[in-house]
Amino acid sequence: MISTGVSGLDEMLGSGIPRGSRVLYSLEPGVDGQLFMLSSLSCALAKGLSCLVILPHTTVDAFRNDATKMYGAQLDLVSGPVVFMDAIDRERIQKTSRSEEGREREWQARIRKICRNHSVDVIFAYFDLLYEDFGPEKAIRLLESAREDAKTTLVLEHLNLGGTALLERFIGEFSFDLIVAVRASFRPIPHFNYFTMVHTSWSPAAPRSIPFIIREGRIIPFIPRIVVTGPAHAGKSTFVAQASDDGQSVDRRSPEGEPTTVAMDFGWLHWKDFDITLYGTPGHTRFDSLLPPYLRHAIGVVLIVDATKPDTFPRAKYLIDMAVKRRIPYVIAANKNDLPQLIKPGEIRAALGIGDDIPVFPISATRRSDVHFVLESMVDSITQFSY
Amino acid sequence: MYCYKTGIAQIDDVSGGFEAGTNILILAPPMSYADQLAYALTKPLDGEYAIVLSTNERAAEVVDAFKLAGADKRFTGVIDAITKSSTTGIADTQRLMFVSSPTDLTGIGIKFSNMVETIFEGNFAEGETGLFPPPIRFCVNSISTLLMYRRLEVLYQFLHVLTAKLKKIEGVGIYLLNSESFDEKTLSLIKQLMNCVIEVKIEQNMSYMRIQGIRGVPGEWLKFAVVKGKVTILP
Repeated sequence: MISTGVSGLDEMLGSGIPRGSRVLYSLEPGVDGQLFMLSSLSCALAKGLSCLVILPHTTVDAFRNDATKMYGAQLDLVSGPVVFMDAIDRERIQKTSRSEEGREREWQARIRKICRNHSVDVIFAYFDLLYEDFGPEKAIRLLESAREDAKTTLVLEHLNLGGTALLERFIGEFSFDLIVAVRASFRPIPHFNYFTMVHTSWSPAAPRSIPFIIREGRIIPFIPRIVVTGPAHAGKSTFVAQASDDGQSVDRRSPEGEPTTVAMDFGWLHWKDFDITLYGTPGHTRFDSLLPPYLRHAIGVVLIVDATKPDTFPRAKYLIDMAVKRRIPYVIAANKNDLPQLIKPGEIRAALGIGDDIPVFPISATRRSDVHFVLESMVDSITQFSY
Repeated sequence: MYCYKTGIAQIDDVSGGFEAGTNILILAPPMSYADQLAYALTKPLDGEYAIVLSTNERAAEVVDAFKLAGADKRFTGVIDAITKSSTTGIADTQRLMFVSSPTDLTGIGIKFSNMVETIFEGNFAEGETGLFPPPIRFCVNSISTLLMYRRLEVLYQFLHVLTAKLKKIEGVGIYLLNSESFDEKTLSLIKQLMNCVIEVKIEQNMSYMRIQGIRGVPGEWLKFAVVKGKVTILP
């Protein structure tokens, strides 16, 4: 097995990539995902595997500099067992061979020669220009035919301008073993980056998406946090309990005899490929000092209001302002819609001073389907960006 | 919605400037000083930012050009696709970023996102006004060079994403394209991504421009000159 260099990803794959696999790191435009390829390259080199790196878009020197800046000095691209084909090679091939067939043959011959002379274990190829020069079928065939040993692993990085349709081709038509799509949520700037394990040939696991941050040249996956907040007795604990596959309530009996949250409610659920942690905050103002640290790393806020109690709306407005100040996307769940004396969504919207772009969902937090509908909207609003 | 002043009375008086989210193609023959026009329209005014993707000039030259045009360089960022091919070790700064070559669309996309993110987070320059979303003028100089390195279909897809992002961040995009080096199909495909086209021509050593796509602005040829970053319409 070859480690990807990304701990969360390795675990999802069952300790890494099997030798001889065909791997695609598909990067969405503008997403800082170049470390995936570099991490895998670094792990392969550290394991003593012989690597060929094909970089038709840049020179070896520029690549070494960039890679070292991004990944750090541990990525040994000088004394390690690594050979390169770069932009200069591509230029030479284009000059010497006039026809496309001729260029294809020349690429194959060169790659084959390097693979043979250096007993290459892994080919890392930056695919964009090969894709453009030959089209995807020919470019993959070219790389495939050059690797004579079935144990040679092929890892591609590609700027995916073709969306999911292209990924489908890599799975169905080109029979890739592992496809990892590196994406971002834009609101409107990158709000958070995440990778989706779109396909693995050796594991039946469903597609999963994991957000990540880059720290000191490493990809660190994290579990996104959604904060469920609102005025006291709005139904936050019920919401978290209904939403969760598993969780922990910290309700205690208040002096008035009603259950009240004295710290955070926690809930965990797997929803739309994400493992989500829900943090239900207490609603009383005396706990407000707890809110900023929890909002700091939140990717979304569900604000629960009691739609039968307009006197709690100013408190809800205060909590909305805390989310807005931190530019965290939020939705409103107008709870207790199964009770009489209900305030209409339009009136709630007016009372809270929010625009039409913020969804207000009339729900009953006791109904699981209502709760999941709110979460679906929340997850969509933070992960989807249509071009 | 924010309006980006152009300094051209024929536009500013009618519509207040370019509306946020507008993408403008400057279609010009070689040696028509269209880059000066593009830089004049990209020059950041008070409270604004400019980002230039340069495939023709080094970052230092772009910064100098903006300085000469009277722009505050603290609010000007450059993504340079030239320098790194000769100076491989050059490092990015907050306002100057480098990609290996104009072929590197992955790198260009990432640096653009990074720079926009820095601006949105308020970490780009001191003395920021705090307008939100921060007004950003983005210039690509030029699409012609990108087309020499990448296939039209690929570049179209890439620019489609870029122009959409610019709309989303409520910026304004200014893209230069040589009108004489490409066929009709190429020009019409690139035009599809734009809301406004400014055509430039040279006659008897004078520059003329024609603005199409802004409501209320007549599509007639206007004689113009660019002096110190300011566009003047001549009688």
